[in-house]
Amino acid sequence: MLNQALVEDILYAALETGGDFAEIFVEDKTSSSIQMLGGTVDTAMSGRDFGVGIRILNGVFAVYAYTNDFSRENLIKVARNAAQAIRGQKQDIRIDLRKSLVTPHHELKLLPSDVSKARKIEYMRRAHIAASEYDPVISQTRVIYLDDDQKVLIANSEGLFVEDRRAHNRLQIEAIASNGSEKQSGQYGPGAHSGLEFLDNLDIEWYAREAARTAKTMIHAEFAPSGKIPVIIDNEFGGVIFHEACGHGLEATSVAKGASVFAGKLGELVASPLVTAIDDGTIKNAWGSLNIDDEGSPTQRNVLIENGVLKGYLIDKLGSRKMGMASTGSARRQNYQFAPTSRMNNTFIAGGNSTPEEIIANTEYGLYAKYMGGGSVNTATGDFNFAVREGYIVRNGKIEKPVRGATLIGKGIEVLQKIDMVGNNLAFGQGMCGSISGSIPADVGQPMIRVSELTVGGR
Amino acid sequence: MEMVQFKELLFEKGREVGFTDMEIYYQAERETTVRVFRGEIDAYNIAEKAGLSFRGVIGGKMGYSYTEKIDADSVDLLLQEARENAAILEQSESEEIFAGSERYVELRDQSQQLRELTPDVLIDTAKAMEAAALAHDPRVEMVNSCMTVNSETELTIMNTKGLNCHTKDNLVIGYISALAKEDGVVSSAAKGEYSLRNIEEVNAAELAQTAASEAVGKLGAQTIESGQYPVILRNETASTLLKAFVSVFSGESASKGLTLLQDRVGQKVAGENVTIIDDPHRTDAPGSTPFDSEGMATARHDVVRNGELVTFLHNLKTAKHFGVESTGNAYKASYRGSVSVQPNNLVLEPGDRSLDELIAGTERGLMLVELQGVHAGTNAVSGDFSLACIGHLIENGKIVRPVNQITVSGNILELLNNVEAIGNDLKFDGYGRGAVGAPSIKIKSLAIAGK
Repeated sequence: MLNQALVEDILYAALETGGDFAEIFVEDKTSSSIQMLGGTVDTAMSGRDFGVGIRILNGVFAVYAYTNDFSRENLIKVARNAAQAIRGQKQDIRIDLRKSLVTPHHELKLLPSDVSKARKIEYMRRAHIAASEYDPVISQTRVIYLDDDQKVLIANSEGLFVEDRRAHNRLQIEAIASNGSEKQSGQYGPGAHSGLEFLDNLDIEWYAREAARTAKTMIHAEFAPSGKIPVIIDNEFGGVIFHEACGHGLEATSVAKGASVFAGKLGELVASPLVTAIDDGTIKNAWGSLNIDDEGSPTQRNVLIENGVLKGYLIDKLGSRKMGMASTGSARRQNYQFAPTSRMNNTFIAGGNSTPEEIIANTEYGLYAKYMGGGSVNTATGDFNFAVREGYIVRNGKIEKPVRGATLIGKGIEVLQKIDMVGNNLAFGQGMCGSISGSIPADVGQPMIRVSELTVGGR
Repeated sequence: MEMVQFKELLFEKGREVGFTDMEIYYQAERETTVRVFRGEIDAYNIAEKAGLSFRGVIGGKMGYSYTEKIDADSVDLLLQEARENAAILEQSESEEIFAGSERYVELRDQSQQLRELTPDVLIDTAKAMEAAALAHDPRVEMVNSCMTVNSETELTIMNTKGLNCHTKDNLVIGYISALAKEDGVVSSAAKGEYSLRNIEEVNAAELAQTAASEAVGKLGAQTIESGQYPVILRNETASTLLKAFVSVFSGESASKGLTLLQDRVGQKVAGENVTIIDDPHRTDAPGSTPFDSEGMATARHDVVRNGELVTFLHNLKTAKHFGVESTGNAYKASYRGSVSVQPNNLVLEPGDRSLDELIAGTERGLMLVELQGVHAGTNAVSGDFSLACIGHLIENGKIVRPVNQITVSGNILELLNNVEAIGNDLKFDGYGRGAVGAPSIKIKSLAIAGK
């Protein structure tokens, strides 16, 4: 991508004004996306991203610059321009780049470029057929296929020089049910950090029928009631509640500023003792896994909360300097256009002892959120909100009827403390997580959990 | 490699492999961002980005591809990807390459100052904003995000039918988020402002004070009883909500059967008092442009006039689908995107009431100042929304206390049919193309879920 001698020259240029650390991130990525609407391919796009990001640190001050003009002359110029923001004395730093090899933990057998577009649309066609044949109430389907193949080179003034390759693919399936003037949709979006063997081995029809089933169920559902009631949140994408309500508040970005409700609480009981939560970037071929993070550190399994006690944060290099704590291999960025920062990989609540049947049978009245949609959180106040994609009223220990349009709102720490049952059916769902270093693939996960009381907004 | 040279090479090789009409869409952007924390520069970012989108007709179908690496090597990649992408398209209606409009509006160049703005001004402005917020009230504990951004974007569209369109836009942004704390409870408020002309228009000090006073104003917020309430959507929440549902006016959604306004052109879809206009030539709006992403001249269009749906917004393809003229609303999110439909500056026409008058005219109700999780809590297909929000309780025409831990829910069409009063304080959501603006509006009744 760039040769070692040039990389060294760029790093030296970046350090000319007194920076104590310089880093370069080179990215060459091909991506493609195809959309099939109602069984007809109507959009196909593909292309190549190529760029170079240069970061200079001086203590906890960070300068970041990027360009996609990769000529030697320009790269040195960009490094020098960025260095202008640091007005210090040049330090005596000798850069001794040592090429290190990444141990590939996530096998990539069939790269996107190895597979024809005709074969890619066959995966999509299978999803369309399964969803549209599920029930006459299904009036429309939308299937989006996405893949990328990203080569990165990361080097820094501490001598790191490492290259890695990552590949993702995903099928986003949406089924829409119509009933006269009304429309409701169901969605599923399985994906992996893997080659196309992931889709070869996936039961695509099951996911498509499940999306169609949600749409059909919701078109016949009444509006959810409002109020503070017990809420059961099912596994897989239900883990978005932990991701949004707590995970973001554990990132160094907000902890280091003291702008998180979790700041200064290490070792304290912050959650119900039933809760153990982990962020693990090493899970084989998982959507949010990486061999190395975007600063070149190997990813790891980080225990965040153990039996309710806060054990750790998610920390990148800059966060590490600000907090005086070690990096956790959690630096991520959407692409070369973003400086890396602390982010989640695959975050989940660990499995407990209750069976899903027990949890529902033990609930006199409440909301059962079978599938969650997206949400957002204010990490400073802990306020969060989530949409429920498929919900039911539970009465006298039984699922009574489906309800639509529910939103769950609350505060992160409060909800953690109110988890009173944890199921034994841990599973993961795939999402795109947005924050200051862009949009990145991340798994969320949990078993079924019950929150003793949560505000449900219906109407 | 020079752009003109690259274009010639690309079009020549394209013809050799069977493309008939071809186009390049080239976007280049320079941007400087300064973030400040506790009086120091926290981050300083310099961005130079450029990318090129290619599209061309081959076998009667339009193929797309893009690259950020602009060199001779990329020519083959662009052509091969575009050819393969065209080959798998299955729909009968195709896009076309546009030869150009007869005339284009000349938008006044207002941004000389921004082109000459030095990083020091951005740094000083950001520092002043943070200081102003902290000084505003002792309960302001921290400014957790404070930044200024200055950017310049150039766009060029050139094609084999002779179209050659070019624009250069400048934009400066100030953004601040303040945290207030009292009795261990934290509240926050974020404010952003932009200008296309000069950094003074960002009103940095005022922006900071507003963020600070709004954060403080949310302290002590409590929930309220669930029920139906008259609701004032303050301007930024009204524009955010309208923007979340902007696809209901899209000809692209209509052509795919994905809008709840399907087949309703010429019919009443909103209250008599609702008029929505797309005006691409406003001097005060961020989405202004003389041509759309297909190179067609833009024009002002009534979308809803006194409650009646006048037209959907169209690009060439969706216009052809419905047998009408394009409204000049072709849109590409970037060089990575294909042509879709978006408004330029879609505006819910303001009325003549001030926000204070709207509040004074409310016996008991809520004013919402912040909507959360809008991407997740709105369903553009059904029109339903259910959103966490923060606001203030109004009693006897006066604001009495802040309210949080509530949701507001309803349906966008029902809402547009229940607008009781419209304010005069137009505000835009977002900073670029596809801008949507609205004034504060008072809705007769919306469902609020609290305790």
